[in-house]
Amino acid sequence: MDVSRPGKGRLRIAVTGASGDYGRLLLSRLDQDPDVESILVLDVVRPEGDKVEFHRVDLTRYDAESELTDALTERPVDALYHLAFLFGPIRNGSLAHELEVIGTMNVLTAAGRSRLPRLVVPSLTAVYGARGNNPAMLREDSALQGCPHSRFVTDKVEVEGQVRAFRERHPDMRVLVLRFAPVLGPSVDNPATRFLKNPVVPTLMGFDPLWQGLHEEDAARALHLALRADASGEFNIVGRGVMPISGLIQQAGARPLPLPGPLFRAGLHTLDAVGAGTLPVALLDYIHYSWVADGERAESALGFIPLHHVKDAAAALKRS
Amino acid sequence: MAKGVLGNDPFKRGAASRPTEASTPGGEEKAAAAESVTKKKPGPGGTASAKAGGKAAAAKSRKHEGKKTSGKAKGGKAVEGKKGAAAAARPPAQASGTRPPAPQADRTEAADAALSPREPTPSQQARAPLVPQTSAHDADDAVLPLREPAASTPLTLDSQAPGPVNDAGAPTSKQRDVDLALAEALAADVAEATATAVVDAALGAEAGPDAEVERLMATEFATELAEAAVEEALERGAHAQSLEQEQELAAAVAAQVADSAARAAIDKVRARHATPDAPAVTRWERETSVRVVLTEEADTSAVEPEVELPDATRDEFPPGRRGPLSLVPPPATNAGESSYRESFPPESGRGEPEGIRPLAERAVAALSLARDIAGQALASESLARAMLAMGGLKDMLRAGLGTGGGANLDEYGKDPSLVERLEPVLEFLYSQYWRVSVQGVDHVPPGAAILVANHSGALPYDGLVMSMALTRERPDLREPRWLVEDQVFHAPMVGTLFNRLGAVRACPENALRLLDEHRPLVVFPEGYQALSKPFGERYRLKRFGRGGFVKLALRTGAPIVPVAIVGAEETSPLLGRIPASFLGLPYVPLTPLGPLPLPAKWSIRFGEPIGVEDLAPEAADDLGEVQRLTERTREAIQSMLQSLLRERRSVFAG
Repeated sequence: MDVSRPGKGRLRIAVTGASGDYGRLLLSRLDQDPDVESILVLDVVRPEGDKVEFHRVDLTRYDAESELTDALTERPVDALYHLAFLFGPIRNGSLAHELEVIGTMNVLTAAGRSRLPRLVVPSLTAVYGARGNNPAMLREDSALQGCPHSRFVTDKVEVEGQVRAFRERHPDMRVLVLRFAPVLGPSVDNPATRFLKNPVVPTLMGFDPLWQGLHEEDAARALHLALRADASGEFNIVGRGVMPISGLIQQAGARPLPLPGPLFRAGLHTLDAVGAGTLPVALLDYIHYSWVADGERAESALGFIPLHHVKDAAAALKRS
Repeated sequence: MAKGVLGNDPFKRGAASRPTEASTPGGEEKAAAAESVTKKKPGPGGTASAKAGGKAAAAKSRKHEGKKTSGKAKGGKAVEGKKGAAAAARPPAQASGTRPPAPQADRTEAADAALSPREPTPSQQARAPLVPQTSAHDADDAVLPLREPAASTPLTLDSQAPGPVNDAGAPTSKQRDVDLALAEALAADVAEATATAVVDAALGAEAGPDAEVERLMATEFATELAEAAVEEALERGAHAQSLEQEQELAAAVAAQVADSAARAAIDKVRARHATPDAPAVTRWERETSVRVVLTEEADTSAVEPEVELPDATRDEFPPGRRGPLSLVPPPATNAGESSYRESFPPESGRGEPEGIRPLAERAVAALSLARDIAGQALASESLARAMLAMGGLKDMLRAGLGTGGGANLDEYGKDPSLVERLEPVLEFLYSQYWRVSVQGVDHVPPGAAILVANHSGALPYDGLVMSMALTRERPDLREPRWLVEDQVFHAPMVGTLFNRLGAVRACPENALRLLDEHRPLVVFPEGYQALSKPFGERYRLKRFGRGGFVKLALRTGAPIVPVAIVGAEETSPLLGRIPASFLGLPYVPLTPLGPLPLPAKWSIRFGEPIGVEDLAPEAADDLGEVQRLTERTREAIQSMLQSLLRERRSVFAG
């Protein structure tokens, strides 16, 4: 089942959600990969690229599954990157749920029917949840406690559950789940970058949890490595080192403003209720307790060694 | 040091002096100036000029060294040299005809140029071979517009005294003149560079219509003072001084005097802003006087420009002042203000026509005196330590608040740089406040070990002290960590701070990972109960949790070392509990000094390790076995506690 075995022709890769941040990062790498023959993009918009074969699929539609199956079986692909995920909570929670959970369900069904050799799904280290009872380093087998206040994270946890069940049903397939630490970089946009890009960043007074960050280049590299890795399962993809949130804020060129917890909470809830909230309320948990994931498995099994320190990733945010 | 450097190949001297410069972190500007002097030389002078440059640089660097070691005997006197050199005579170079006075603007430019490293211009290089070796004066005239007298004169010396070693015998009077002129010219350069640097540094931030004029005036004034001082110094110490000595002395004196005089000038200029009717700079210039006393010593490095002044406060100048970038930030005006004071000794009786002047003057004098006293206090070692400690405490507070930042944290959250900055505080607490005495620390085996200790005191300082004791007494071990129960670990501020200092949340995953790293791991199995027990139950061990540490030991094979800590209970006795659920805490402990500890004496006793090698890892599931080992550890600690308590005569004295 190894796609990179010798004698095999050049690779044909399918990608959903190619216009998102992950898709953009990955496509530029695949474009330069000489082993990649063509990229089948299953998305609603056509991305740039010489190798791109575009096939319009809307994952939120009821017929998405059959379209996907057709597209994948018409000409077999060597790997499917399912990257059609949101990068932060959106106001329309039900649409997000349709896209992430139902969309993933469709993709998994199509992947099972077309007997794909390899499936790569991105996730977040946020699915572990920021809890007081987290160990210093969360390994891949730690419980996914998620964040009960956040539909976004809950959806991600649900997606992870689906993918795990799928992997257990299809032991002959390589199913890789990459749990990314907050991706930081000049060209990505997610709650973490939005949070850090403010000139003054509110934090919880008396708490300074450790954060990890992943430079966007490292994220792209990890996605690319997943194409050939002889491994299956979940991997924490994290940058080098950890930093307290205040240090991260300072590195990003902003100033931390410690606010007493109740005040901060009330303010954030008010903003959210008014509709002006730029910061998700769930972020409160993540700036309260540490959620440091251990990238050891990605290093040993995936061969992913981050090049960038969190510090550099945060500083890259400042330069943009 | 200067001798050794000077005694070598002349080409190497300029370079040889640089490491010294590099080793004086304070004087960047001056090092740059010295370097530029060095760089300017090669144009006209060839080898000899390189030598001169080297000397200038060497003299400079020695001066820096003087600054560094200023706490020693030389300190006060050298500072006096600065301020006392306020002699008003015209530059000596003029008298000997080597250097006619340049316009002010020219001088500043030249000084500026001296500050920025500059390659010799082609014209200079072209002229160089034409300089006749015999005529110092001609050479000077030739390079005069470029103001490099020091560069050309060594040529004559070279013909007379081939080596830097003084084997030329007694100099003739003509030679002496030349030597003097040379040294003075060199000193003039140095003085200008220094003065410009100081003035620029002091006035750099200020902008205004008069800024440029002020700058020029201040530089000019400082340079003149310095030159006068140099001349005086050279005349006094004329006999039996070799050329190098003279030059070094001249450069040193010039730089110091220029430094202080420039500050004085700046003050003056500022004062003039405040009181527009104040006399011009030239006026008090005339009133100052200098007396340079040179000690006769063979080694040039011992030459001290010792200037006596009719000023009673001379000993108050802390050595830290002399470096513009010293550790203690110098109030930029001290030396200047005292010379200012000197110039008007009877302040009240001066009978100034303006009524406002004496008042302002008195205010300035009082202010400067206050500054002097404060400066001296700051320069003393213990207060410097205290300041460092304050800085550390500030960082600690910031870390606790959650704005500490830091980029070098390990994955557990320890911030080694914060610990380093807090070292003065920790050291004080450890060895002076709590006077921790440690017994049996050799029982701690190398590699992974579980140190089981009694938890005590309302505020859990014991983990910190345990880790300090282990790092101090057993540097061969890996850095220890201690486990802290959730209630403390997630308390706002306290938890964050403890985390930065090395505490790790108590859970099996963390413990296993730490033991995997072969660290000594300090655990407090009583946990939270021990902290919340009233003072009356002190040193009575609570239930040892559920024996988690025994399971850990059985699974990893790490030995258990029982540890008894006495003194922690009295350090922060729990007097009461203030409910504080709104802070996310079960309660806030009421202790005598709030978060501050009491100075109880601590004793830590390490017991014999309890090995678990003969038990299989599966024994961790045998609750009976776990219970037995837990009880054994508990008894070991309790008995050590009893004996420590019996041996203790006084809570605070030990």
